[in-house]
Amino acid sequence: MSAKIDVAIIGGGVVGSAVARELSRFRLNICVLEKELDVCNGVSGRNTGLLHSGILNKKNMLRTECCMEGNKEFEQVAQELDVPFRRCGKLIVGFGEEERGRLEKLYKQGMENGVPGIRMINAAEIKRLDPNVDGEFAIHVPSAGILCPFTYTIALAENAVQNGVKYCFDCEVTGISRNEQGDFSLETKQGKMTARWVINCAGLYAYKISEMLGFGKYQPSRVKGEYEILDKKAGKYLSLPVYPTPNEYGAFDIHVTPTIDGNVLVGPTIEHIGEGIDYAATQSMIEVLEKQGSKMFRYVKRDYYIRNYVGVFPTVEDPETHEEMDFRIETKESVPCAVNVVGINSPGLTSALPIARRVIAKIRQSEALTMNEKFNPVRRGMVKFSQKNEEEKRRLIAQNPDYGEIYCRCECVTKAEVKAAVHNILGVTTVSGIKYRTRATMGRCQGGYCETRLTQLIQQELGKKKEEILLNKPEAYMFTGEVK
Amino acid sequence: MKSRTFVCIVCPNGCTVEVQYEEQEVLAISGNKCKKGAEYVTQEMTDPRRTIATTVPISGAELPLCSVRLTKAIPKKDIFRVMEEIRKVSLEAPVTIGQTVIRNVCGLDSDVIVTKNMKREMNKN
Amino acid sequence: MEQRDVVIIGGGPAGLAAAVKLKEKEINDILIIERERQLGGILRQCIHDGFGLTRFGETLSGPEYSQRFIDEVETLGIDFITNATVIDLTGDKIVTVATRDGLLQVQAKTVILAMGCRERTRGALAIPGTRPSGIYNAGVAQSYINLFNTMVGKEVIIMGSGDIGLIMARRLTLEGAHVKAVFEVLPYPSGLPRNIEQCLHDYDIPLYLSHSVIEIKGNERIEGVRVAEVGTDLKPIPGTEKDFSCDTLILSVGLIPENELSLAAGAVLDERTKGAFVDENFQTNVPGIFAAGNVLHVHDLVDFVSLEAEALAEGAAQYLKRGYLEACDIPVETDAKIGHVIPQRISGKKNFRMSMRVRKPTGKCRIEVRQGEHLIKSVPLPKALPAEMIQFEVEADQILPNGKIEVSVYEK
Repeated sequence: MSAKIDVAIIGGGVVGSAVARELSRFRLNICVLEKELDVCNGVSGRNTGLLHSGILNKKNMLRTECCMEGNKEFEQVAQELDVPFRRCGKLIVGFGEEERGRLEKLYKQGMENGVPGIRMINAAEIKRLDPNVDGEFAIHVPSAGILCPFTYTIALAENAVQNGVKYCFDCEVTGISRNEQGDFSLETKQGKMTARWVINCAGLYAYKISEMLGFGKYQPSRVKGEYEILDKKAGKYLSLPVYPTPNEYGAFDIHVTPTIDGNVLVGPTIEHIGEGIDYAATQSMIEVLEKQGSKMFRYVKRDYYIRNYVGVFPTVEDPETHEEMDFRIETKESVPCAVNVVGINSPGLTSALPIARRVIAKIRQSEALTMNEKFNPVRRGMVKFSQKNEEEKRRLIAQNPDYGEIYCRCECVTKAEVKAAVHNILGVTTVSGIKYRTRATMGRCQGGYCETRLTQLIQQELGKKKEEILLNKPEAYMFTGEVK
Repeated sequence: MKSRTFVCIVCPNGCTVEVQYEEQEVLAISGNKCKKGAEYVTQEMTDPRRTIATTVPISGAELPLCSVRLTKAIPKKDIFRVMEEIRKVSLEAPVTIGQTVIRNVCGLDSDVIVTKNMKREMNKN
Repeated sequence: MEQRDVVIIGGGPAGLAAAVKLKEKEINDILIIERERQLGGILRQCIHDGFGLTRFGETLSGPEYSQRFIDEVETLGIDFITNATVIDLTGDKIVTVATRDGLLQVQAKTVILAMGCRERTRGALAIPGTRPSGIYNAGVAQSYINLFNTMVGKEVIIMGSGDIGLIMARRLTLEGAHVKAVFEVLPYPSGLPRNIEQCLHDYDIPLYLSHSVIEIKGNERIEGVRVAEVGTDLKPIPGTEKDFSCDTLILSVGLIPENELSLAAGAVLDERTKGAFVDENFQTNVPGIFAAGNVLHVHDLVDFVSLEAEALAEGAAQYLKRGYLEACDIPVETDAKIGHVIPQRISGKKNFRMSMRVRKPTGKCRIEVRQGEHLIKSVPLPKALPAEMIQFEVEADQILPNGKIEVSVYEK
């Protein structure tokens, strides 16, 4: 890793991958440095998977602007990158006069922001939209949607790689300095590298990189949120995300969100944890999810629980006001050839491409970029056997018998898909990597049936030893070796 | 007179059997549904025995291991010694149920036998 | 489309036993569909002995037990396909199967559901803590160790005292792992007494009853668990928390009948068994679709699975010959002390075998089967454990033509 590169992007989450993809439109030598073994292992993989509408944020904020822009263009993005997405709309429901007052305020904010098509609706209209949702009144936000954050981030990253970007995993940046030529000298877990430009898209760790680069100190003020994932059997009873009325501080209690794959997410809970990072689910929040969640959606029942997870959202304090800071995309005269992207929490998923374009605009202020004529914005996702009709299934098996071998019975994932995932172009080799790409192990048996198959295939296809197979992190080994 | 309670492991009934004894002599047995229970606890009082089941590496089969077991119970204290002995052997497909893997293992008058039919697979070595 | 008299989904102990028995009843057009490469189901990985005492009068390992049925299937020339997964089943009994040779569709006259069960997972229990590697369901660990020559860990904690967990405690110990403890949230073990004896006591593995894992620790590989004693409400008692280090956590916390295909076909499930409602012929509410074995209700012994599937064959054969079965309008209900009962509906015109489990361990007791004031049967038992299935015959001549049947436990 000694050759000099043009742009080092620190962080392979949705923002880093969007920046990588957008930058690959230009003739640049680009490298994404990711400290984990795959993309979307931080904030990008631990959220609600919502395409936000822009109603929740105040006007004149960068996050509102980016969100609205990202929301509007998503049909095209989804088509280019082959990302499943549904503009299903969203309901924010309320009961009683006090909540009505608060909802009306929120509705006004949405109108000011220009969120398209929003309406205050009554109980009967709620029932028409989804008979399983209760509420005396609600705001209907038709432009909100749902998508899979894993698939989207992977799609951005794969498209970047197709267009010449390199991803380095297990490559935490531990130090940044300048060499005699004024270029950045980056110390990473994989050795030293030199880059002309550095883009900080480090998510939860953006505050650290910001300081290393010389953009100054941002104080993390993180929020931990716990979620519960429900079986697809419950998913068929929910057609769109349902939020309660925000409290007097504008924060939302537990909401329920269908996923693009047919499950339901319950959460997040909200817990302010300051500087820490804590992915441990707690008994108390599990109980809160059950209690509050079942008020929103009657199928929040233990029988439908598949898995829980925890997200940590990378809120930072505004250095001046000490309030939660807006998205910040900055350059600094004293730090040439660097763009600092901090404070990207919700709606970061929706805003990733708009943020990326703003990063590029910053670069172009000091450097002319040459178009990469070979850039292809189109990325094709994996074939999903389960979503094909009978005739297509027949054709797939005839073309490749591996499509006739079901590896994951819950999600109906075939050997062909798992094999394709094992040989993904990002070069990810973890069990979780296969999961994010195929949904194998994401069903109700949680890998009880398919995990032995996945780990065997990793061994066969990549020539790995048993003790080299990892769940998701360098020390997260699956096995201690052979029995005999 | 002393007494001890056993859970009989001969069958899934798992009878709770009480034994009354003096020195080494069994005086009374109660709680067992069948005579195997009495035999079991009498044996257990003096010389507890177990059979074991484990696996042996196999080459040329669909899977890397073949299951095996003992034909007769061995003294409980010898279990790990027998495991070590079984660890030394390997098989080559095809094998059939009942095939002897080790005769009279550790001189304990029990054989290690194959408990799974495994065919020879093409492309496996 | 291919036509079959019988399609059996699942080539494990239930499916194989049903096939053999149907063939004996001169039903010849049978197809068994098995998703693994070999017949035998879960028994392929159950290498320990203790199977077959009831069915064969001798004690066998799992593979030996299943081979007896496989041999019969082969001798009788019953058709089967392996490495073939049923991906859809309709109420009209059209079975869609994914195989390497193509997508197979079969129109069956009868379908026998014999898909078995799956393990309850960490996620379903919502155990607090992080999500590191090194957490395995007992059956998954068993398949890694006994089939794939893969060792899952060295310092092991087991949560739940189900039979597979107990069996794995011994198996892991024999292969050199250190099993530190087994924690059971209930005040009594979930597994059979003889497995407590020969899998735990023999190897000095402590069993802590009324204890639960309340937190999982470790960010990459599991590093330990926090355990607490629980009260009668099964909630942790503050102040009783203890930390145990480990590199592996094995879960043996229950089995759930695997009924996704049954639901696709329109079968109605019993909340208690998580299996289909069936009548005395093991027919579900969908005419011509039958279920037996662990897909119907979780059994303690494979012998009972085989016997149940054999009993099913009689009803299925009759259905094929006549095109219908006697209406079963008499419901079978239980008191609160009984977890569930099979069958849930009967005709009252035929002897049948009743299966049930009690909810709590009970000493000397009797089980009474009644229709109102009318006592049909009274079965005395020296003890009744939730771990053990209770079965007995009920004679038709004792059953009145009308009135629901109630099953109750009376302690002495």
